[in-house]
Amino acid sequence: MAREVSESCMDSLLTEIVSSYCNVLYATKPELAARRIEAIGYQVGHQLSERYTMERPRFSDHLEAIKFICKDFWSELFKKQIDNLKTNHRGTFVLQDDKFAWLSRMSGEPSTETRGSAPEAGNKAAETTGMHLYFPCGIIRGALSNLGIPCAVSADISNLPACSFVIRIKV
Amino acid sequence: MIVCIAVVGHQNNPLYIQSFTEADDALKLHHIVHCSLDVVDERVNNPKKSGPMLNETFLGLLYPTENYKVYGYLTNTKVKFILVTTDLDVRDADVRNFFRRFHSAYLDAVSNPFHVPGKKITSKTFAERVTNIVKSVSFHTTG
Repeated sequence: MAREVSESCMDSLLTEIVSSYCNVLYATKPELAARRIEAIGYQVGHQLSERYTMERPRFSDHLEAIKFICKDFWSELFKKQIDNLKTNHRGTFVLQDDKFAWLSRMSGEPSTETRGSAPEAGNKAAETTGMHLYFPCGIIRGALSNLGIPCAVSADISNLPACSFVIRIKV
Repeated sequence: MIVCIAVVGHQNNPLYIQSFTEADDALKLHHIVHCSLDVVDERVNNPKKSGPMLNETFLGLLYPTENYKVYGYLTNTKVKFILVTTDLDVRDADVRNFFRRFHSAYLDAVSNPFHVPGKKITSKTFAERVTNIVKSVSFHTTG
């Protein structure tokens, strides 16, 4: 599928958000930077969910809302659906995207700036990748909260470029 | 004629309320809107009554009064739209159509990055758009 200009813009914007929050605004406080980036995502998700649910009937339960996130919402955002959805039927859902667009251009190699020992550099790379995931986590959390489902969302990147989002619904 | 339109948040907090009458009866209309919120809750919590329109955003006629008819619409995000009209013979399709247009106006208003979610909508553009929609809609009476 052809790649559109706006997608590249979005990639660059996300990279820039992460780098300015982590290196300029909150250089010494990574947790605070993460919170801010997540909050931006939350607002985006909040507004998008309002728009994308406009023409559909109301959801009767949590699973239906999660399915909406997996199918329609993800298609609107990334032109593809979530590849795998798992749940323990007790409020935890794992959404796996086998080729997450915002990580597809992320290199696992340590960057040139970090010339430390290999594991240290690997840690640094994982940390930076993790920073890029607060935004999509925020989007999911924002969308679900707006649909009346308060939850916590975290991301897991143990096997790149696949990416899993873990949603824990608060009861 | 549409005399009043209101947007009510998920905690029944008013987000936007506007009446379109010359007479000084805003308070009465606000009261009607207020009363209709209970009917919305009732509809949503007892879905049996609504039958085939289960979980549809358009809630239909909430209740008629002597001079007015009150219609409701509940979005997926639990935001309620309430419409009060003096036309007593209205087709559902027209009201549906009105709510759809109103919903997209609302969407654009809340997508404004300067709008704080859960706070009143103060956008002038939104107010203008709503007025235009209200003016352009005339519920054709079939009788």
